[in-house]
Amino acid sequence: MQKDPHYYIQGVLDANRLMLSRTITLIESALPAHQEMVRTIIDHLLPHTGNAVRLGITGVPGAGKSTFIDSFGTLLTRLGHRVAVLAIDPSSTRSGGSILGDKTRMLNLSVNDRAFIRPSPSGGTLGGVARKTRETMLVCEAAGFDVIIIETVGVGQSETTVSSMVDFFLALMIAGGGDELQGIKKGVLEVADAIVINKADGDNKRRAELACREYQTALHLLTPGSKDWSPPVLTCSALKNSGLEEIWEMIGQHRSVMLTNGEHQQRRKQQALDWMYFLINDGLQNWFYNNPEITGQLSELTKEINEQTLSPAAAASRLLQHLKH
Amino acid sequence: MSDHPDFLKWEEHAGKLMKGKPLESLNWQTPEGITVKPLYTAEDIEGLESVNTLPGLPPYVRGPMATMYAGRPWTIRQYAGFSTAKESNEFYRRALEAGQKGLSVAFDLATHRGYDSDHPRVTGDVGKAGVAIDSVEDMKILFDGIPLDQMSVSMTMNGAVIPILASYIVAAEEQGVTHAQLTGTIQNDILKEYLTRNTFIYPPVPSMRIVADIIGFCSKNMPRYNTISISGYHMMEAGANSVLQTAFTMADGLEYVRTALQAGLDIDDFAPRLSFFFGIGMNFFMDIAMLRAARFLWHRLMSRFNPQNPKSSMLRTHCQTSGWSLTEQDPYNNIIRTTLEALTSVLGGTQSLHTNSFDEAIGLPTDFSARIARNTQIILQEESEICHVIDPLGGSYYLEALTGSIISEAQKIIDEVEELGGMAKAIESGMPKMRIEESAARKQARIDQGLDVIVGVNKYKLKDEKIDFEIREVPATVRDEQVARINEIKASRDNNEVEKTLAAITEAAKSGSGNLLELALPAIRARATIGEVTQAMEKVFERFVATTRCISGAYASEFAANPGILETLRKRTERFLGTHGRRPRILVSKMGQDGHDRGIKVIASAYADIGFDVDIGPLFQTPAEAAKMAIENDVHVVGASSLTAGHKTLVPALVEELKKQGGADILVVAGGIIPPGDYDYLYERGVRAVFGPGTSVIDSATRTLDLIEAAAG
Repeated sequence: MQKDPHYYIQGVLDANRLMLSRTITLIESALPAHQEMVRTIIDHLLPHTGNAVRLGITGVPGAGKSTFIDSFGTLLTRLGHRVAVLAIDPSSTRSGGSILGDKTRMLNLSVNDRAFIRPSPSGGTLGGVARKTRETMLVCEAAGFDVIIIETVGVGQSETTVSSMVDFFLALMIAGGGDELQGIKKGVLEVADAIVINKADGDNKRRAELACREYQTALHLLTPGSKDWSPPVLTCSALKNSGLEEIWEMIGQHRSVMLTNGEHQQRRKQQALDWMYFLINDGLQNWFYNNPEITGQLSELTKEINEQTLSPAAAASRLLQHLKH
Repeated sequence: MSDHPDFLKWEEHAGKLMKGKPLESLNWQTPEGITVKPLYTAEDIEGLESVNTLPGLPPYVRGPMATMYAGRPWTIRQYAGFSTAKESNEFYRRALEAGQKGLSVAFDLATHRGYDSDHPRVTGDVGKAGVAIDSVEDMKILFDGIPLDQMSVSMTMNGAVIPILASYIVAAEEQGVTHAQLTGTIQNDILKEYLTRNTFIYPPVPSMRIVADIIGFCSKNMPRYNTISISGYHMMEAGANSVLQTAFTMADGLEYVRTALQAGLDIDDFAPRLSFFFGIGMNFFMDIAMLRAARFLWHRLMSRFNPQNPKSSMLRTHCQTSGWSLTEQDPYNNIIRTTLEALTSVLGGTQSLHTNSFDEAIGLPTDFSARIARNTQIILQEESEICHVIDPLGGSYYLEALTGSIISEAQKIIDEVEELGGMAKAIESGMPKMRIEESAARKQARIDQGLDVIVGVNKYKLKDEKIDFEIREVPATVRDEQVARINEIKASRDNNEVEKTLAAITEAAKSGSGNLLELALPAIRARATIGEVTQAMEKVFERFVATTRCISGAYASEFAANPGILETLRKRTERFLGTHGRRPRILVSKMGQDGHDRGIKVIASAYADIGFDVDIGPLFQTPAEAAKMAIENDVHVVGASSLTAGHKTLVPALVEELKKQGGADILVVAGGIIPPGDYDYLYERGVRAVFGPGTSVIDSATRTLDLIEAAAG
């Protein structure tokens, strides 16, 4: 492994696929030495980032996310874009290992020279995923990719995390067996900039259109996040390549509205601030739980709480004393 | 608890011999989930519907024919084919002279997938795992000197089934044989391809139309021809246990019946020409019972359609001994395994049988190994005197009880499939595939722990393996020969006629009317190639892309009794994470047209359980595509799996591609059916380790970790 951060910086700026990939590996690494290097790398690459369209895509398992990204990404490359796809794979097992099968479902895009796909094991903590994904997005931009797609599965809090780092957050749905809104978290609808009903083909087309209307009604009941943008509901068939151009047009329209009214700039600024707070919290937690004095005392206090000789509030207060030193 | 008058006495006797352990500790839990007791009595078969029936009469448990082998023994039908049509033809003629009764053609993977030999995606596949057929000219050479009006020919073809069947028909026409005279079987079982072997071309819906068109054409014009061979064999080879094999095969059969009925056929027009194909493994009584249970179930399932012809609900089957049970280690043991499996098939009442050659875990059969395989059956038929009595095990308490258990267990799964809306829908849901893969991962885990014994592999291993027999090599010139003949044909035919006939196929594919097989005949007569006819339909139907799903946890869960073995490896991957900041990461890849993905699925599942991050490559990758994926995912190692003789071309090409794309430090290891003689060839070309058949996952993972750790420093 190369120890000089400039080796990676130059490689990424040269749009070298292998160097981009190795830089992402550093970002994903849990080693403090690697983290240190990543900070330098990101600092140097930051001026070369920020111009890409950042797109988050979520959806329940079975919504056809991978097929959608495959067809949609292929369309974008045909329009002249360079597309990076970051897929967060939740399939970790008890052993900590994981099976990452995403590319098998993005057959066209994975062999496309204008595309880069990187599936990452979610491993570790949500904070870890957020940090890695954000930094990975930045190096992809520095390597010249102008559309970044972040794929997440609708589990845990990953949607909120992803939506807080993208310009446009798209929720992919399919027509269900009637109760369309059941089982879909309200949280997803609140952060979505658009809802797309996939698999609107063949026998399913009519059902998809029905679902489309139900979602439209449901969205009317929510207050939109922006006064100039009410999240639209569209249908498409990733399999049959229909409705995809309309989705890209809509994303472009959103961008121009948000650039004109200044919300785009505002959103990015807010994201940067959120990011700082996130890092502070994350850093505090890390510092706190990795402090040997604290961890030592923590196990003693745990015992006392178990024996009911100490109240939880008193224990927490004693531990937090360490912050004052 | 039996009410036999002496049962308590027996219990007491047996109890004494158990030295304090309960008698129940002798019970055996089979992989099918059936509890097998040490003793069966009359009570165990009381009230079973499948007991005390007669052969040739419903429900056919004891055999479809009234006289079975007492009247005429089963057909010895050996499956073979390799390299060119000419070489395969010579091989067939020698086999027929030596006592074989029917032919069974193995096609290469390029042909299966509808690619002509000159297609860039198939450079590693031509003539490897079967014979290369590009046009009717090859088909005519294949059957040269073999009168097709007298010879029953079975063809294992599912993907390119339209052009291949059409070529066979046209080759017969040009021998002067009419359609009605043709006898034999086309496998034409596309549903199982989506489950296991992946030699499909089109998506399920148009593929089912093709099945219906073939049944439609043949039931009108080829009354002696079996239009489909509903196959459980490949499911067993992919790891399905005997209940899964039975259930999914029956469910596939039901789906074909419904497809034909929907196409407007009458049940008795086609159901008598449906045949089956089962795989027979090493669990002796289980698989005898499986064949009996399958006949019972098929009769029961078909009765709902009210057939008038008794043959419509009569299950006739071909069997093949398990290729998976063959070992590369101490390979002469395979003769014994195959003999036992052949006996299983025959005691189960099969109508025809293929016995594997002992060298098939290493390479293609030679004339020598094919002779031993053939003689295994001839000796059973002509020396062992077993043919005189029909269903000789009928009435055995154990066997009848086991037959009953398989019937009820399989029925449960069939019901589950029916609830999902039939097999086509179930396949879409992924359920059958997951069940088979789970069964495979569990089996591998049992083998790796020595719970399932395989002599020479995980017990009684030889210190020195020495191969003292010839291994057949497919000459590298096969592809050149094929390409030359394609060019010759294309230069001499009437291209206007070819285009016109192909356009008619495309039109029929689009409109949904017209019989695709009937329309393929004029195209094949005009010398359109297999690839061109495939293309003509592909324009409308498109090529199907399979999604790869993989289960995790199944492998590890079989280690409950021996957690130590896995723990050691898990600690190593944890330690690696601590040292290098990430887990060891492997890409498992299948290159070329070989769709046998049981191996990589088991590896993926097991390695993830050990603590690797595992990327699974899509099927049918080229070496360049695999290299790009390895680099983007920044894996430590690529594990390339090859089961169909493509390893000498594709694996070195992967090493070269990695170098070309800058990833020279990414390790390459290979696994699958690779003759030991080829190991050095691969090592010299940069492959770091080769894992032959029978390598335990623990061994391969340990060696792969060694390599990764050494490289990472």
